[in-house]
Amino acid sequence: MTRRTALRSAAALPVATAAPPALAQPAIAPPTEQIAERPLFGAVSWTMANGLRVVLAESRRVPVVSHYLFYGAGAGEDPAGRSGTAHFLEHMMFKGSRNVAPGALSLAVAREGGQDNAFTSRDVTAYYQTVEASRLPLVMRMEADRFAYPLLPEATLEPERAVILEERNQRTSSNPRGRFWEGFEAAMWGPQHWHGRPLIGWEDEIRAITLGDLRGFHEQRYAPANAVLVVTGDAREAEVRKLAEEFYGVVPARPFTARQRAEPVPAAAEPRFVQHDPAVREASFMRSAMAPSLTWGETRHAWPLEVLAHLLGSGSGSRLHKALVETGLATSASASYDSETVGPGSFSVSATARQDVAPERLEAAVDAALAALLQDGPSEAEVIRSIRQLTAGAVLSLDGIGAAPRMLGGVLAIGLPLELVEFWPRYLKAVTRDQVTAAARAVLGQPAGTTGWLLPGAPA
Amino acid sequence: MTGEQGFSLPIQVVEADGISAWLVEDQSVPVVSVAWSWAGGAALDPAGQEGTAALAAALLTEGAGSLRAIEFGDALRDQAISLNFSADRDSFEGGFRALTTALPEAVRLARLAMQEPRLDADAVERVRARSIAAARRALETPRGQAVRAFWANAYPGHSAGRPSGGTAESLAGLPVEALRAALARQVHREGLLVTASGAITPAELQALLPALFGGLPGGAPQPMAPLPAFRAFGQQVLPVASPQSAVIFGQDGLPSSDPDWEAAQVVLRILAGGGFSSRLMQSVREQRGLSYGIGAGLDLLFRHGVVIGSVATENARVAETLAVTREEWARMAAEGPTETELADAVAFLTGSMPLQFTDSRRVAETLLMLRQNGRPTDWLAGRPARLRALTQERLARVAARVLAPDGLSVVVAGQPAGL
Repeated sequence: MTRRTALRSAAALPVATAAPPALAQPAIAPPTEQIAERPLFGAVSWTMANGLRVVLAESRRVPVVSHYLFYGAGAGEDPAGRSGTAHFLEHMMFKGSRNVAPGALSLAVAREGGQDNAFTSRDVTAYYQTVEASRLPLVMRMEADRFAYPLLPEATLEPERAVILEERNQRTSSNPRGRFWEGFEAAMWGPQHWHGRPLIGWEDEIRAITLGDLRGFHEQRYAPANAVLVVTGDAREAEVRKLAEEFYGVVPARPFTARQRAEPVPAAAEPRFVQHDPAVREASFMRSAMAPSLTWGETRHAWPLEVLAHLLGSGSGSRLHKALVETGLATSASASYDSETVGPGSFSVSATARQDVAPERLEAAVDAALAALLQDGPSEAEVIRSIRQLTAGAVLSLDGIGAAPRMLGGVLAIGLPLELVEFWPRYLKAVTRDQVTAAARAVLGQPAGTTGWLLPGAPA
Repeated sequence: MTGEQGFSLPIQVVEADGISAWLVEDQSVPVVSVAWSWAGGAALDPAGQEGTAALAAALLTEGAGSLRAIEFGDALRDQAISLNFSADRDSFEGGFRALTTALPEAVRLARLAMQEPRLDADAVERVRARSIAAARRALETPRGQAVRAFWANAYPGHSAGRPSGGTAESLAGLPVEALRAALARQVHREGLLVTASGAITPAELQALLPALFGGLPGGAPQPMAPLPAFRAFGQQVLPVASPQSAVIFGQDGLPSSDPDWEAAQVVLRILAGGGFSSRLMQSVREQRGLSYGIGAGLDLLFRHGVVIGSVATENARVAETLAVTREEWARMAAEGPTETELADAVAFLTGSMPLQFTDSRRVAETLLMLRQNGRPTDWLAGRPARLRALTQERLARVAARVLAPDGLSVVVAGQPAGL
């Protein structure tokens, strides 16, 4: 991992991914005096003739290679009235391709001692295998085959729909917190807004999805220029270039439909969302506000919001912990924010009330803690400590094979530059107290959000 | 890699002050993980005081020496040290992962936690409230209730049948003296098993052992009451309002010292193991769309394996799912796996070994598990050859011996039709 590798990858910045123009540059320019810092993964990147972006992060620590194919399309791209399409397609991609029988990919990977799976988020769909280093050609061949020519066989559609409905039951319907979270998001963004729909889809819409919907999604979104291939681990650049050409070079280039995410609603669909659920035993509080991200809105607030989330709700030294947990009002309290998303995101605070504490008391304490923060801003010491704690463990993501491909693919497939992964501590270290105060006021000082309670007991 | 080139994980044994540690040194990333344990944990909790050891373990990182809880937490987080203590059904464990630059601080804090825990009254009340909330929350889902009932039925009247984290009732009444007593009977110099992995040399580890454990009280932890026989309990339905039922099923397995242990692992992988390839996954999910997933395997407690599995399905299809599961169980017991299934499973189990040793924490934890089960240092090195020596006849015999299709114990939590 040399500085040269870092500069080389910087030169290969996205031409391929479907990024809105605003994303062409990092949201915050890296401070120049830190340019000699080592890149975290030392990844190299190039773009193939058909538009496929390839990223390689070598590590010879163990003789294992991870192979991930990210598509720049997730549940956020589900067609109107057909929530769950991206996820349904992910399932159906395991039903064979022109040269690979249904189910054969997973069996072949297992036979080689490997692991394979896939996931759908709001922003991406990704397929991956982790195998012993010499098996890279095998998984590339099979993945490229289903990229270009998936079978999506009609006979498997209904059994797979049943599987997905059971998955939905398992994740959401039989879990009171799953039910609440789904209702909360819909209350805030609206049940048909791309951010308010569940990733797995509404039940009636999962039932309505047709084979045509799935084929359409594949045709419009699964194009080489809308995908990122990430290889990490024990692989050499020359070999990966050769194999990528051999297997993925033949996937035909074709136009694709770029994401067009709707703007958020000006105010929360329902500013207050209270759900009583007999299965619930612990009353839980959740407040969420719409927030800028690194791809949308006032992007300059994105890194300061990461710092804000930490000093507000991460660990025993945080403000919410002191205001709610130390005082005996709550058993836990936290804040969360993710800057690396497509379009507007959300900044959330949550807490679980102690048994003997009335919800109003807890909520008043949250209000007071947030008001104090908005009034005076955080202290210099809080900001310094948060930045220190957030960045101290950056190198730990090299201890293991899971972090590199997910961090690299997750960022590149939403149109953000490689530097955001390679040098992420730098962006946090540049955050100032004034920036955190400004970000807090911009996000928490406005009414566009939802406050919710999940409470024990029968619905009123 | 499927075996031919072999897989090696060179384990070195280091000793200092009568404490031995297994080490896998890897200097490629500046990170060190250390893990250690004693037999005991929840097994030493007095009846009615379930969760004592777990609560005591959680409190070790909530203030020690002159550092109150917040200061202790910040000291860890300022240097990205993850230090954890926990009490499982049959063990009390500690461990940390730290950057090499933070190693001295990690050792200092871990030692302080074990030797001078504060157990401040406010910290006890805070962690107690958190543990009670967690215990109650565990019962919010059908699955949580089914798991609880399965173990309670299988080991009535023994600590293995009770939740190791305690219940809302048992935790509420625990006096701080009970927590101190739990630590006093558990944290000793004898019976300590230690493992390490990462950027640390044998000499450095040798110096670390007394720094970390020197000064612990002598003698051994209190012995555990032996695990009674698994009680097959038939079928139990827990009524829970839910569109889907959660099913936990299982049966007695075999001791980890049994010569058939690895053969049984292979049989269970083929029948019910990970991924899409198992017979149950094919029959239940792929062919019938009955569930998002089904799986079963050996759960180890007191060096004894219990076969436990889970599946969730729509209430109307629980009966069919259970029937299919029992059919597959019976077919495997009667015939064993095919030659192809055996070859595929052995290829996976040998070929996937490098994938299990990709981060220092996991390496240290795996080594610890080997030590807890009394395995020799060359156990992993010999595993591929042992697996490749397994024959179809042997597996058929082991399947017939271990699997009890008529003796499956089942808990269904939900509103299943026709049970």
